[in-house]
Amino acid sequence: MEKSISKLEHIAAFVIGLNRRYRVAVVLAEDVNTLDAIVKATMDGFVYPILIGNRAQIKQLLPNTFLKNEDSYEILACDHNAAELAVAMVKQGEADIVMKGMINTDVFLKAVLNKQLGLMKPHGVLSYVCAVEVPAYNKLLFITDPAVLPFPNFKQKVSMAQYAIEMAHKMGIAKPKIALIGTSEKVSPHFPNTLEYEKMVKMSKNGEIKGCIMDGPLDVFLACDPQSVKIKGISTPVAGDADILLFPSLEACNPFYKSLMLFGGGELAGLIQGTTHPVVVMSRSESFKSKYYCLALACLMTK
Amino acid sequence: MFKKLSDLERLIKKNNVTKILALAVSQDSQSLNAIHKAHQKGIIKPVLIGDKALTERIIEEEGFDFSGAQFIDEKDHEMCVEIAVKLVHNKEADILMKGKVATPVLLKGVLNKEWGLRTGSLLSHFALFEVDTYHKLIAITDVAMNISPNLKDKIAIVNNSVGYLNKMGIAKPKVAVLGAIEMVNESMQATMDAALLSKMNQRDQIKNCIIDGPLAFDNAVCVDSAKLKNIKSEVAGDTDLLLMPDIEVGNVLYKTLVFFAKAKVASVILGAKTPIVLTSRSDSEESKYHSILLAALA
Repeated sequence: MEKSISKLEHIAAFVIGLNRRYRVAVVLAEDVNTLDAIVKATMDGFVYPILIGNRAQIKQLLPNTFLKNEDSYEILACDHNAAELAVAMVKQGEADIVMKGMINTDVFLKAVLNKQLGLMKPHGVLSYVCAVEVPAYNKLLFITDPAVLPFPNFKQKVSMAQYAIEMAHKMGIAKPKIALIGTSEKVSPHFPNTLEYEKMVKMSKNGEIKGCIMDGPLDVFLACDPQSVKIKGISTPVAGDADILLFPSLEACNPFYKSLMLFGGGELAGLIQGTTHPVVVMSRSESFKSKYYCLALACLMTK
Repeated sequence: MFKKLSDLERLIKKNNVTKILALAVSQDSQSLNAIHKAHQKGIIKPVLIGDKALTERIIEEEGFDFSGAQFIDEKDHEMCVEIAVKLVHNKEADILMKGKVATPVLLKGVLNKEWGLRTGSLLSHFALFEVDTYHKLIAITDVAMNISPNLKDKIAIVNNSVGYLNKMGIAKPKVAVLGAIEMVNESMQATMDAALLSKMNQRDQIKNCIIDGPLAFDNAVCVDSAKLKNIKSEVAGDTDLLLMPDIEVGNVLYKTLVFFAKAKVASVILGAKTPIVLTSRSDSEESKYHSILLAALA
């Protein structure tokens, strides 16, 4: 990659440039929201979908222009255990990515998380990283964890950092700046998270967490606004130019990204972390664009 | 219903009272700038307590007109606070404002048992946001004062804020208790507290508002998100007040709205005898001015 990726649409452009079709197993694909993004990604040439579910319903939802290219997709009729089937296909190398369609998230994740048959890395921490694009910031922001871990412990925070760093690396950012988010830059026993942050910064300094420039605690201003860093006169290597924001809790990260989407004109693409292969779970409320970017991101993250 | 913070001017003018504002440690150009503007508009009459020579030098350098203002010359910060707090305590001033003094010093004075401004209620921070993409002003509490409030604290925080919104003419503010999810989950205390607060509101234990929660941020402020999730709620999509689970969440949301959503904000400390204007260095002068407006409403 010559230049790092700084916009979500660049992810798709980059993946298209790889000239490869990633095989995406879609669990219960009879869902217009899911199919919209799949159809575009297929037409754009980077996805080969394996649509699992009710054949007639799936066909009905697909446009003719898509259906007539019979060698660019597959429909697998399946009326139960569709998630297990998709996961098994990925495990056996018949698909690269698994994606949730019209299936309950809990049922879907149960198949993904199954110890023997699922897709979890051994001793892997399940978490989530989102790439967010927002007009007020001149590059992508990687945030964690907006969806899975309510109150991450120390070990989980370290994993969250590593996942986000890995995603930034995949985007061509060699040394992402990671800000560990608190209410201020001060370490305080009143905020136990800040004590963990202090340890993490040490780990990054002595090479236990690699490939990043880490600092924390920092508040959102100090992480993202060079002006605030100047006014406060704080010396921090992140310097208001963070690539990654690690939040102390799901409660803090969730309203952060939702306020960016609703009030800040943002778009996002996110992926579950801790799995051997990309797993795409999108909520119904996400925009068509976000769903398409999510798929592109899953392809980018495929080994 | 207010859409802009500057709309508060209209409401204050209607009340037609000039409030007296006591500034503790007055040699602070940012505070003086905001006070000057409010003074010029006849919203407040200032009492400037601090190093008089330094204060006058700033006023001269900035070209402010403070004629009609009262000056009290005092160099010691703690004494400045004591004088300012006592003025309010004795009803000779209506609003207390923090100047170039450390927050703990000011709060120590506010909480003094003999001459302080205690009411028996918890002190809490109340921030009012103007966000272009939301259809009205939205209040958020507590983003700066209480670190991790328990249920009892949250009741006090809601009561402080609702009382203030009532004063702004919102008879039954819609209060959303924020959670990461909209379901009650026994491993997330915020969602349990939210459910209890909602029920207490239904039973009239918390009055003059409509409380619902837990609501995730999108459900609280966006009616379409709530519909997609099939949430039936009077509050969803039309929130006047968002109650935060803790300060870590509140601080993030506050700064995110200001930096990423270009929101304007006014804030006051509630729960004392009068509202206290306690802004931080990083707040803009406009924000300080709007905070004075907000305090002048009480």
